[in-house]
Amino acid sequence: MAMSVEEVEAAIIEKATKSPKPQLYIKDFYKCDSDRKPREMKNIANGLVKKGELMFWSSGSTTMYARPDRIKNEEEGEGIN
Amino acid sequence: MAKHDTPLLDELEKGPWPSFVTDMKRQAETHPECWDILGQLELSFKDRITHWKHGGIVGVFGYGGGIVGRYSDVPKQFPGVEHFHTVRIAQPAGLYYSTKNLRALMDLWDKYGSGMTNMHGSTGDMIFLGTRTENLEPLFWDLTHDLDQDLGGSGSNLRTPSCCLGDSRCEWSCYDAQDICYHLTMHYQDEIHRPAFPYKFKFKFSGCPNDCVAAIARSDFALIGTWKDDIQMDQAAVKEYIAGNYPSNGGAHAGRDWGAFDIQKEVIDICPTDCMWMEGDELKIDNSECTRCMHCINVMPRALKPGKEKGATICIGAKAPILDGAQFATMVIPFINVSKDNEYENVIDVIEQIWDWWMEVGKNRERVGETMQRIGLPTFLKVMEVEAMPQHVKEPRSNPYVFWKEEEVEGGWERDVQAFRKKHAA
Repeated sequence: MAMSVEEVEAAIIEKATKSPKPQLYIKDFYKCDSDRKPREMKNIANGLVKKGELMFWSSGSTTMYARPDRIKNEEEGEGIN
Repeated sequence: MAKHDTPLLDELEKGPWPSFVTDMKRQAETHPECWDILGQLELSFKDRITHWKHGGIVGVFGYGGGIVGRYSDVPKQFPGVEHFHTVRIAQPAGLYYSTKNLRALMDLWDKYGSGMTNMHGSTGDMIFLGTRTENLEPLFWDLTHDLDQDLGGSGSNLRTPSCCLGDSRCEWSCYDAQDICYHLTMHYQDEIHRPAFPYKFKFKFSGCPNDCVAAIARSDFALIGTWKDDIQMDQAAVKEYIAGNYPSNGGAHAGRDWGAFDIQKEVIDICPTDCMWMEGDELKIDNSECTRCMHCINVMPRALKPGKEKGATICIGAKAPILDGAQFATMVIPFINVSKDNEYENVIDVIEQIWDWWMEVGKNRERVGETMQRIGLPTFLKVMEVEAMPQHVKEPRSNPYVFWKEEEVEGGWERDVQAFRKKHAA
């Protein structure tokens, strides 16, 4: 049975929480629901950013996703570069 | 009075050319943080390594692009550049600004940032260089509310689409480049402002094959104007060029005496497909051989014009040299109608067909041109539902083997051996 959006969101959050690296590419989330098209997964991941569950981290050329509590801002002295 | 000694940078002021060091010193008179850029750059020259840390989580609320975080890794030494974020401002289609708008933008940047700009970045955005995190939201508010302008794309977003002047000033434009650029900018607001792909993706729109925005070299999706029918020709005007009554190239090279115009030498002999010749005093063109290089039209604009049946060619996969070196786009769709009447629906269909495939198959940080190269053009053409044609072939093949697909072989892989043996006895 197809996963609901809420179930996919929970799977994405779990992946972002448990992955060894705090920052993940959008493709890393595709497997959370392989039945959905990548563009749908992107919309769900971006929706989680809007809800504050994920944050964007951008190098300028690539953007990654991370759980806010796993990533510290540069200004707090915990740079991740 | 200089805050830091910069003997190495000072060398860059000694040539006859304009110097960014001089510009920064001038800017430092009103924005003291610019002294610290010079100081940090001098240190980088000495250490032979950058002291910038690039990237981060900075941005404005609701957007996942448009701001690129930048920090100094020696902030105690150079506090003025502790934060030095870049802000990308979306450029108007065709880069049409009013001086009033430019002044307002500069006032805004003087208020919230270093005042230093890069006009324009490779994507086409106006780049504002250097501000602190706490200035980002106020800057964004004023930009969007007072100036009615927006941030451009960055990161894994669709980058700010860019186009040539198009129909606004160019008689060669084969479609309304500014209109489709604006239309797709509005259509894909989500993709521009929030990450959407494995890596960056750029649209560029050139109204004719002169390709004034270098779409074929710099964009993942290049829409380049072209025509299907014959070049429009005015034989009387051709004669005027030959007689020297009309200046060649619209007078663009008139500053020097190049001698009398020679149509044989300057046009016919350098046609890349050798498809032009004179019959008496009439110019002839074998249009079936023309590759739309535009040279003859550029040289004799009053005599030759693009045909009447206009549209565009779609080339896919150009990029700058990050991984395997610079790459031109590959011509995939030789002709497509480009019409605002259907709100560019057919162009949008092609774009989304590419995205669906690339998002699935592309690796992280892999441009679509690199994915095409890795997977191979035959597979990509199949995905795009395009029949292969001679113009897709880049060079004669070097591999002597032909790898047939099952559907291309009569009977597939599961042929009836008995039936085969009836015709071909062992």
